[in-house]
Amino acid sequence: MSSSQISEKRDKLEHPLIAVPSHDELVEQLFVRDLKVFISSELEPIQAQLAKQEEGALSESETNSRVSHLRERMSAHESFRTWLSIKRVSQRLLWANVGESVERQADELEALARIENPIGSVRTDPSFQVPAYISSGDIHLMPGGNAFDDNSIMQGALMDRGGAVYMLGRNGGMLNDLRGQTAMAHVLTRFPDFNPERILDMGCGIGTSTVPAAKCFPDAEVHGIDVGASILRYAHARAEHLGAAVHFSQQNAEMTDFDSASFDLVFSCVLFHETSQDATFKILSESKRLLRPGGIAVHLEVPLLHDNTDPWRELAGELEAEYNNEPNWRGALTADYRSLFDAAGFTNVETGHQPTSQNARKGPFRFGTENEGVFRSWFIASGQVG
Amino acid sequence: MTRTPLPRCPNRLDAIDGSRAFDEKLLDMIVGLTSELTVLRARHDALERLLVSGGSIEKGQIDSFEPDEEAQIEREMLRKRTMRKIFRPLQEVMQQDLDAAKGSDR
Repeated sequence: MSSSQISEKRDKLEHPLIAVPSHDELVEQLFVRDLKVFISSELEPIQAQLAKQEEGALSESETNSRVSHLRERMSAHESFRTWLSIKRVSQRLLWANVGESVERQADELEALARIENPIGSVRTDPSFQVPAYISSGDIHLMPGGNAFDDNSIMQGALMDRGGAVYMLGRNGGMLNDLRGQTAMAHVLTRFPDFNPERILDMGCGIGTSTVPAAKCFPDAEVHGIDVGASILRYAHARAEHLGAAVHFSQQNAEMTDFDSASFDLVFSCVLFHETSQDATFKILSESKRLLRPGGIAVHLEVPLLHDNTDPWRELAGELEAEYNNEPNWRGALTADYRSLFDAAGFTNVETGHQPTSQNARKGPFRFGTENEGVFRSWFIASGQVG
Repeated sequence: MTRTPLPRCPNRLDAIDGSRAFDEKLLDMIVGLTSELTVLRARHDALERLLVSGGSIEKGQIDSFEPDEEAQIEREMLRKRTMRKIFRPLQEVMQQDLDAAKGSDR
């Protein structure tokens, strides 16, 4: 990967709002990226080998809950504990760096966020009740969390630049939009002639997936909801700079204030693993309520790696969830989405893997059981109303 | 415009089984230091290359540089910033100790 993927100058970016690092900030971002790559490609394989050794030594009585016994054994190793620590330290350094960089250019970013004659809108709610799964731990260790608001766009600016560095450029560079492209490609794979009039993106964050939906269906009225006022203000300004008409509002995806049967497409990208099992069920019920007859719900998640035959892989996922604050990782990975969609009242339900799309209108238009690997395909569950 | 700084410490940092919390603070300081060193070397490298290629200095001239008073003040600020950054974890752990001690006094 070339460093240019996270080093663009403002005038060469696809939208100018994203915080642009100084020379020193950029070098540190590259350092964080390289450290993360070093941890995952040089240190983690050694831990995996250690886990294989420990797995082989598990006694008969320990084979029932192999993951928890493996965890116990691994925790006795200082190197394992250090590996967990350095992963978290690298993540904290990322946010510290981007936080400083964003604050340094606060005035410039705020000026860029003042939009004359917007084509979309943003609606925040000072009385919004933040769900417990958001307030109980800052997701991805982003200080302040997704709901943090200081009446500015700064938390959104932090999430945008931080997310691009966090994804190491594997999710569409600075646009970070490949999940949105993939969700829309899925819609067109299953329903090639679908032409939604009204679209809702649940848990839209800074709109990385909402904008591709608006670009894919330019005649549709597109809405995005999330829990944080700051990230929504930023999302609005960002979408305007990208020429996408999107209406953002601060709402809980479990119970929105939209009318019943008022959308044709309701979707989310990597939302469920940041919520709770109870919320997942409620979000699916809400998706059903919001859709018109013939409407489609599409929910994209990380490729489900749940695999009872590989305790190390499962333990590594569990640890990532715990120490990087992913509140519903296990719940999202073990959920039976077909049953959940059925229980919510959807018909024509499909679950599977959609290959990553660079541009929804260009495909690839295939959907099946094959998991092509992390960042190469995404897990999707979709269903229809009526 | 004076802004309230964004938060720096995330809510919820679960304990690692079998680890002393301080071990991670030490690691944090080492990573911070390594990062600073990496940035510094890159900046130094950029500067020297720019100056030499622009004909402003000759190779090796930096070694004989002596800062004036203004430069000394600015360099002191830079040193303090580095100090705050690298020893932030130490400050955090001490503040936690203090807060806990205050809490147990009540």
